[in-house]
Amino acid sequence: MIEKALKGGRGYWAWIALLLILIGLGVSAYARQMSLGLGVTGMGRDISWGVYIAQFTFLVGVAASAVMVVLPYYLHNQKAFSKIVIVGEFLAVSAALMCMLFILADMGKPQRVLNVLLYPSPHSMVFWDVMVLNGYLLINLVSAWAVLGAERRGVPAAAWTRPLIYLSIPWAFSIHTVTAFLFAGLPARHLWLTAVLAPRFLASAFAAGTAILILITFILKKTAAFDVGQDARQKLAVLGAYAGTANFFFLGTEFFTAFYSNVPAHKQSLQYLYFGLQGHAPLVPWMWLSLIVGLISVGMLMTPSLRHQNGWLASACAGLVLSIWIDKGVGLVIGGFVPTPLEAVVDYVPTATELSVTLGIWAIGLLVLTVLLKTLVSVRAQQ
Amino acid sequence: MSNRISAILALLIAGAMFVAALLFMQSVHGASSALRAAAPVAVARQVPIDSTRCIASTVYMKSHHMQLLNQWRHDSVRKGNRAHVTSDGRRFDKSLNTCLGCHASNPMFCFMCHEYANVKPTCWNCHISPMEATR
Amino acid sequence: MAGLGALAGIGAAAGMLPLFALEQTDMSAFSESPVPGKVRWGMLIDTRKCRDGCSGCVVRCHHDHNVPDFGKSKNEVKWIWKSRYEEAFPTASQQFQSPEVENRKVLTLCNHCAEPPCTRACPTEATFRRWDGIVSMDYHRCIGCRFCMAACPYGSRSFNWQDPRPAVRELSATYPTRERGVVEKCNFCSERLVKGLLPACVDSCTEKAMTFGDLNDPVSEIRALLASNETMQRKPELGTLPSVFYII
Repeated sequence: MIEKALKGGRGYWAWIALLLILIGLGVSAYARQMSLGLGVTGMGRDISWGVYIAQFTFLVGVAASAVMVVLPYYLHNQKAFSKIVIVGEFLAVSAALMCMLFILADMGKPQRVLNVLLYPSPHSMVFWDVMVLNGYLLINLVSAWAVLGAERRGVPAAAWTRPLIYLSIPWAFSIHTVTAFLFAGLPARHLWLTAVLAPRFLASAFAAGTAILILITFILKKTAAFDVGQDARQKLAVLGAYAGTANFFFLGTEFFTAFYSNVPAHKQSLQYLYFGLQGHAPLVPWMWLSLIVGLISVGMLMTPSLRHQNGWLASACAGLVLSIWIDKGVGLVIGGFVPTPLEAVVDYVPTATELSVTLGIWAIGLLVLTVLLKTLVSVRAQQ
Repeated sequence: MSNRISAILALLIAGAMFVAALLFMQSVHGASSALRAAAPVAVARQVPIDSTRCIASTVYMKSHHMQLLNQWRHDSVRKGNRAHVTSDGRRFDKSLNTCLGCHASNPMFCFMCHEYANVKPTCWNCHISPMEATR
Repeated sequence: MAGLGALAGIGAAAGMLPLFALEQTDMSAFSESPVPGKVRWGMLIDTRKCRDGCSGCVVRCHHDHNVPDFGKSKNEVKWIWKSRYEEAFPTASQQFQSPEVENRKVLTLCNHCAEPPCTRACPTEATFRRWDGIVSMDYHRCIGCRFCMAACPYGSRSFNWQDPRPAVRELSATYPTRERGVVEKCNFCSERLVKGLLPACVDSCTEKAMTFGDLNDPVSEIRALLASNETMQRKPELGTLPSVFYII
């Protein structure tokens, strides 16, 4: 079935070539990191995680959001999602793959990665995250591939795919909950040490994930003449709008608890991110951009007259993705390290090497997604 | 003659010093808790041990020294079990330094064989190799 | 205090012995396996005695353990260092503090917590709490994920962002160096404890500002000092139960 990805037009191959160039750039940057050490990144003793872990966190959310099409379609028989379900699952596969690559890129000794399995440590959230992420990738890849294969042969999908797909639903929630627990269980990192982190992760994931799915359907419609249907998009837009609302509500509760209680430790990270702390305010414009663009986008998605127009819908989705990417892919991880345990305010600036590796991993994910979606579109076009 | 007298004298003095040291240690041990704070673990006695033979046969050590070192590390680092008892009852400290105590007399000992077998263990990335130590 | 002097003597002698002198030990002194939890090593630092401008213990520790010197850069590696009072005790009372205390430098190092968050976060047991309460690192197993660094509330852990060997000024034979890509921190001188020596920092302090001993032994010197002085731990509200105590 995968051979279908080998036939494409000029535009398709140009896109593949662009991705391969970016991957090459990423690989060469990673080679530099491997030979010189993680010192080539902007990370350091005080801010010991950066872009890599932030992208990982954002992408776990994207992976989890496949549940937003799987759950309505398989549990509530929402026929509108029939054409988009596999798109969502393939998006989950590529996002989960990127997650693991980002973890690998962040490791000081990637050659020892199997130690996580050789010395299983159930007390460590990383151990569970590795388990659930790999499981999630496999479940989605196997079930989506099997369903698509059956579709190609014109037969109903094998009976075993159903329980597997049902399993993927709680599993999707688990991957992002465990990812939140990576952060939320660490004492003295007060931006993360909050019970609302897991619910907020899920809300922001479902907002950004559905928005990405909608954008993908527009791209598929335009480039591959493959339309999942206006109905599916509209339903997703509503889901994304409510998820986005929930996300901003949770963010509001964080602000209330921190600033009303007036406990310095609870306030400091938010102060650093949104107002600046001790004269350090590198992320302030970003965070306000995220907040304003996010709120406007959610408002647009909430307004039926705007959401029914494709132009508005697409820009609202792009806005929501940008907003949540800044919030989770920049602010959350870096903000959590400020101030340091010794009350210092330290700034972090990613290096070109770090950004090239990041871009390379995104390109790998997009390449996998492109190949999977190309297969899907070709199978569907045959019928 | 004077040689014998001085030898006896030396022995006597040494013996007296030993007894005095023993008494001193014991009195300190019994009287004050300071020593307990100061002597965090049982102090290893500086007594030479029989290192005329290796802890196992050459054939075994040639093929299994890496597994043995891994096991030693696991035992001493994680369990605190540092005593290796050989099959003939000799006791050794489970430490790379135990090996080097003898084998470092030839600084090339590890390197020659590893070079010959074309293996590149990473030991000396961190541990101070006999080559470095003798430099 | 006579015992301390005697021990320092042995320490000096051990230093003068040839490089790989460990072979000369009689193992009959050691038990086959220590009883886990019987001993809990701890340290009491009298910040009043710690001399301003003196960094003897820092220099000694970093030399003995081959801690690389990257200066005050983002790649800095440190096991023990001096912090300002409000940096070390950010949740302690700060208002109207005496200027002398405010400006006092406090030695900060790994607290060897009884409830360490770092070992909980480690996915490979590369860092773990030993039988004697020391939070230990297995550099052979560390994958460099830096979860322990994010988990440590005291900033006690350093990562080797680049190859440390070239940044070790004078190679010490008492302890190995590390490889790039692993986390390291204070080990309470477990390599010295096993030889019956006090930690290097305690040994080096001319002011006797540091007391080391078994917190589980009710008649130890450290317990006597803890009972007779008002002491502090860093961030006790986090429930980590640090084994390093301070007299302010």
